[in-house]
Amino acid sequence: MRHAFTLADVEHELWLARAGDGHRLHLGARAIPVSLDRGLDGAATLRIDGARHHALVSVDGDHVHIHLDGETWTVRHADPVQRHGHHHGASADDIAQAPMPGTVIAVHVAQGQAVARGDTMVVIESMKLETAVKAWRDGTVAAVHVAVAQSFERSAPLVTLAPED
Amino acid sequence: MTKPMREIAATARPFDTVLIANRGEIALRILRTVQELGLRAAVVHHASEADAPAVRAADRAIEITGRTPVAAYLDPAQIIAAAHAAGAGAIHPGYGFLSENAGFARAVAAAGLVFVGPTPDAIELMGDKVRARAFVARHGFPVAPSAVEDEDPASFVERARAVGFPLLIKPAAGGGGKGMRIVRDAAALPEELARARSEGARYFGDGRLYVERYVENPRHIEVQVLGDSRGEVVHLYERECSVQRRFQKIIEETPSPALSAAERDRVCEAAAGIARAARYRNAGTVEFIYGGGEFFFLEMNTRLQVEHPVTEMVTGIDLVREQLRIAAGEPLGMRQSDVRVEGHAIECRVYAESPAHGFVPTAGPVLILRLPEGEGVRVDSGIRAGQRVTTAFDPMLAKVIVRGRTRDEARARAHAALGDFVLLGCETNAGFLRRLLDHPAFADGAVHTGFLDAHPEIAAAPPPAPDLVEKLLAIAALSLRPVRDAADAVPPLYAAIGAWRN
Repeated sequence: MRHAFTLADVEHELWLARAGDGHRLHLGARAIPVSLDRGLDGAATLRIDGARHHALVSVDGDHVHIHLDGETWTVRHADPVQRHGHHHGASADDIAQAPMPGTVIAVHVAQGQAVARGDTMVVIESMKLETAVKAWRDGTVAAVHVAVAQSFERSAPLVTLAPED
Repeated sequence: MTKPMREIAATARPFDTVLIANRGEIALRILRTVQELGLRAAVVHHASEADAPAVRAADRAIEITGRTPVAAYLDPAQIIAAAHAAGAGAIHPGYGFLSENAGFARAVAAAGLVFVGPTPDAIELMGDKVRARAFVARHGFPVAPSAVEDEDPASFVERARAVGFPLLIKPAAGGGGKGMRIVRDAAALPEELARARSEGARYFGDGRLYVERYVENPRHIEVQVLGDSRGEVVHLYERECSVQRRFQKIIEETPSPALSAAERDRVCEAAAGIARAARYRNAGTVEFIYGGGEFFFLEMNTRLQVEHPVTEMVTGIDLVREQLRIAAGEPLGMRQSDVRVEGHAIECRVYAESPAHGFVPTAGPVLILRLPEGEGVRVDSGIRAGQRVTTAFDPMLAKVIVRGRTRDEARARAHAALGDFVLLGCETNAGFLRRLLDHPAFADGAVHTGFLDAHPEIAAAPPPAPDLVEKLLAIAALSLRPVRDAADAVPPLYAAIGAWRN
């Protein structure tokens, strides 16, 4: 079974197979013998290509957090069902998404309203800074996803414009 | 802290319990000194942080409530009631929240309590950036060209244009970078003024603005001062805080690599002179913009600063102890000639944020936490494993402070210490801080306050090398039960066939 993992915003497909006492990692054209011994408090020892590496590892759902050689990384395992479930309804090009978590300060548009490129649609505040979310093209507001004083997470949809013809 | 310090005489103490009206790393740091002095430490906390290290270490912890967690810390009546409930005779405000609120300082005094800070008049003077500038200029210290809205609101936009571009818009009541905007183009001025006014009105309840000439490639130099109630003032030398992003400090150090010995004396004496003119009591920081051999007064912060530990590391003076002694009415425990700097100190602020994604704040559980240790390493942290990092509060999680005999030794120690800083579960900027410490411009001591905004590529983490990708994916795959189970469910022969199919 193939698995999709995301590391540093890049998706990797891999395949893990049993091999003797350990496993074999199939990545691209490479088949690499690997094994992992997990100790207490997140300590783990990776054996790969015959070399040993000490790491700290913590799993949170489908996220694996790893500290290795002074740097911290998060690897996300994409569920194969969810991976292909995103493509219903509006395309990403029609949605203004929150660039970071924050709070809504003002909403200047309503559903059905026509907007011109550059019109301020929503004003948000994140980490002390006010940002005007502006229409990136002419269009009609298909949906306003937030209300004044509402908090949102990063990547939350704020305003959707009707798809262009 | 190596230097002997006169303690507060046990019989003369006007208070035996101090309420700490703050949270996170600074609550814990203040608490440490309060308890070292033999005083009792009480802290207030929001319900969401009942498990925080400062709450656990406190002799008494009192819950406060509010519409939001931050609002609870901004409620003077509740804080004062908590002090009474804890039997505290003094309130230490830390930084942020109510630390520079003159009304709060007055209310504390009116309640019969000692405010560990300056007089309300000094807070008011320095809190109003317009009055503060005028005060400093009147006493003969340098300020940058500017236009003040209040002087004639009708002509403000015209006068702002006349200051010249680029210019910096600041809220008259502001501080800490809130509501500040650089404008390089006259056409953008009206909208930027409107935005800054709105931010000022919301954060400070005061929409008045002023603008000043923006010094290109400026360095941020600030000077630590201490004043007692008798009018004595000493300075504890400078800190350089030029590594900033959108006016938020990231790395601070002392001594500044930018100053000559003569410039250092000039700026430190100017700071002490300003504090003396204001009859300043308590620990305070006078901030300057430095560029092209000139320096201009920026503002004075009438509180303990986030970056105070670098000064403590090189002088051996515990600034919180001095604050408490001064608040207890004692004279300064030192003369200017007693203040000596040894070595070089660097502080790195560990934030819950993602530098590679435009520094957006991050959140998540603290699953594993390991703090660095070693010679010359100090960590001021307010988190512990099992806590959750949320966006309800400031994203600063901890400060890694190091001291070395030389700047290069301090830099190397900071780099190593950040490599040993392990927080799993919530992304931090630790890797970014290490890249910054290694950057040739920082190594040369040549970073100005606009450097990071001009070099966004430093924020973008370099992609992991192929062999590192293999290690990380191997660890991830082997750590996830479903992936391992899927592998183990396939007999070896079929697994081998599967590999060929690939």
